[in-house]
Amino acid sequence: MTRDEIKDVILEIIEDIDEDAEFDGLDADKPLRDQLDLDSMDFLDIVMELRKRYQLQIPEEEYPELATLNSCVNYLEPKLKEA
Amino acid sequence: MAEFQLVIIGAGLSGLAAGIRSARFGQKTLIVEQHTLPGGLNSYYRRQGFLLETGLHAMTNFAPRSEKHAPLNRLFRQLKLSRKSFITREQFGSEIIFPDRSLKFSNDLELLCTEIASSFPACIDSFQALVQEVERYDPFVEASWKSTRQFLQERLSDPLLIDMLLLPLMVYGNAEEHDMDLGQFAIMFRALFLEGFFRPEHTIRELLSMLTSQYEKFEGALRFKAPVTKILRAGGRVAGIRLANGEEITADAVLSTIGIPGTARISGWPLDQKKYIGRMSFMETITMVPHASLDSPRCSQTILFYNHNNVLSYRRPQAPIDASWGVICFPDNFEGLPIDTDVPLQVRITNAANYELWKQAGSSQYRQLKEEAGRKSAEAAGKIIGNYRQDVVYHDSFTPMTIERYTSKLEGAVYGSPIKIKSGATPWENLFIAGTDQGYLGIVGAMLSGVTIVNQHLLG
Ligand SMILES: Cc1cc2nc3c(=O)[nH]c(=O)nc-3n(C[C@H](O)[C@H](O)[C@H](O)COP(=O)(O)OP(=O)(O)OC[C@H]3O[C@@H](n4cnc5c(N)ncnc54)[C@H](O)[C@@H]3O)c2cc1C
Repeated sequence: MTRDEIKDVILEIIEDIDEDAEFDGLDADKPLRDQLDLDSMDFLDIVMELRKRYQLQIPEEEYPELATLNSCVNYLEPKLKEA
Repeated sequence: MAEFQLVIIGAGLSGLAAGIRSARFGQKTLIVEQHTLPGGLNSYYRRQGFLLETGLHAMTNFAPRSEKHAPLNRLFRQLKLSRKSFITREQFGSEIIFPDRSLKFSNDLELLCTEIASSFPACIDSFQALVQEVERYDPFVEASWKSTRQFLQERLSDPLLIDMLLLPLMVYGNAEEHDMDLGQFAIMFRALFLEGFFRPEHTIRELLSMLTSQYEKFEGALRFKAPVTKILRAGGRVAGIRLANGEEITADAVLSTIGIPGTARISGWPLDQKKYIGRMSFMETITMVPHASLDSPRCSQTILFYNHNNVLSYRRPQAPIDASWGVICFPDNFEGLPIDTDVPLQVRITNAANYELWKQAGSSQYRQLKEEAGRKSAEAAGKIIGNYRQDVVYHDSFTPMTIERYTSKLEGAVYGSPIKIKSGATPWENLFIAGTDQGYLGIVGAMLSGVTIVNQHLLG
C-alpha cells in the first residue's frame, strides 16, 4: 500500500467507528484523539480493525505511534508494504 | 482447537452486547440462552393482545447525540450501531414524593436544583458541591466499599433530603439493604440525575432485535432453549460448557452473565454463595387503566418515587410486600410518543418484596397472596395518583418467584449480589463474569458491562 492508500484506510476505519466523524480541517500532524474527540475505547477499535483487516498485531506499548494521521502512516507503511 | 473462541452464557442485555463486541472483530462466538427469547430481566410477552415489557420503565443515561463521551453514545459506537437512527424519547418529568416534601426532577439538572433550593434552602450549596464531586469521581477504578450514607451525611446535613435522593437511586439499582457502595451511588446518580430517563421509540422488543441482528450480522451464533448445566474444566482452565441435553461445546474462554451464585453453582467455584445472594427483590404490577380514570395531574408525569413515611426503609420487608414506598411509572409518558386516548394507559408499580414469604406460600396460597399484595400496592399508589382500582382493564404482576424462575437470579434478587466483582475475574483465567454482578446495572449499564469485560479480557 502507498502512503495515500494507508491514509485512506485510517480515515475509512475512523468513519466506520464514528458516524459523526468530521475530517474537514484535520491536521495530519496533530493528535487524532483531540481533533476527532475520540476516547480510548474508540482507539482500541482502530487497533482491532487493523488486526481484523490485515492481521496486524499492534502491541499496547506501540499505540502512541498511532497518535496522529502522519504518525499512523509512518508506523504502518513498512507493515503494510505487501498489503 | 476449541469449537468457539468465546461462549457467552445468557442472552440478556450484557450477553448480547458482549457477543456483538466479540463477533465484530471476527472471533467465533456463541451465545447460549435457556429461554426462547432474548432480553433476560428485560424482555417482553404478549397477553390479551397487548405487548407487555417485563421490566422496562425507562432507560437511564440519556444523552443527546452530540455528547460523544456520554455512556450511551460510547455504547452505540462500541456496538457499531447507528446512534443517528436510534430515536430517543425523553421523560416528561419525575417526582420524589415524601409526606412533607416533594422534589421534581427531569433530564435538566436545573429543575432538581431549583426544587432543592426551595424545599431545602440550607442544603442547596452543598448539593451543588456534591454534584461536582460526583462528576469528578471515577467509579470504575477498583476501590474498597465506602458508605454512601456516611458520605452524604458529611455533605448534606438534612436526613430527609438524603433519603429523598436515595430512593430513586436505590430502587433502580442497589443490591444492598439500607446503605450502598459509593461507587454504585456515583454510577446511579449520574445515570438518573445528571443524564436522565428516556425510552427507545418502540418497545424493548425492537431494541433487542436491533441487538440480535447486529450480532448475527457479525456472524455470531445464538442458541435458545439451551440451558447450561455445567462449565467444564480441564487442568486449571475452563474448557467449555455442557447443556441440559448433555451436549458439550468447547471454548477458549467462557463469559457468564448469570450472576455470581449461578456461575458458582455450575462451575464448582468454591465460594460462600449466601454472601452473594442479594436480599432485595420486588413485586411489579402492570395495569392498564382508561385515561379518564387517571385525572390527577401527577398522572402526566413519567415516574413517581413515593414514600408514605419520612424515613426510607430500603430493605427486605417483614411482609410479602412493603407498599409504604415504591415506584409508580407511566411508560406512555415520554416526549413524542403517540397519545391515543382510546388505548388505556399503562401504570407500573414496583414495591419491595420478601422472597421467603412468597416461596413459603406454595402454589395454593400464591394466587391469593398475589391478589392481596396487588390490592395493597394499588391502594398505596392510589394515595398518590387517586384511586383507579375499580377501573382497571388489565392486570398482571410479577413476584420474586417469577424473577427467579425466568432469569435464575437466586431469590429473585433483581440487582444481583451485594458484593460485585468489578474486574469480572473468577478463579479461572479464562472464565469471566459480566452483567449485574460485575457492577453495572440497568439496560445501558448491563450492555456497557458486556462491552467492558470483552474489551479488557477477551479481544484475544
Ligand atoms: C421488573 C424489572 C424492571 C426493570 N426495569 C428496568 C428499567 O426500567 N430500566 C433499566 O434500565 N433497567 C431495568 N431493570 C434492570 C435491567 O433489566 C437489568 O439490569 C439488566 O437487564 C440486566 O442484564 P444482565 O444481562 O446482566 O442479566 P439478565 O437479564 O438476568 O441476563 C441473564 C440471562 O441469562 C440467562 N440464563 C440464566 N441462567 C442460564 C443458564 N444456566 N443457561 C443459559 N442461560 C441462562 C437468563 O435467562 C437471562 O436471559 C429492571 C429489572 C426488572 C426485573
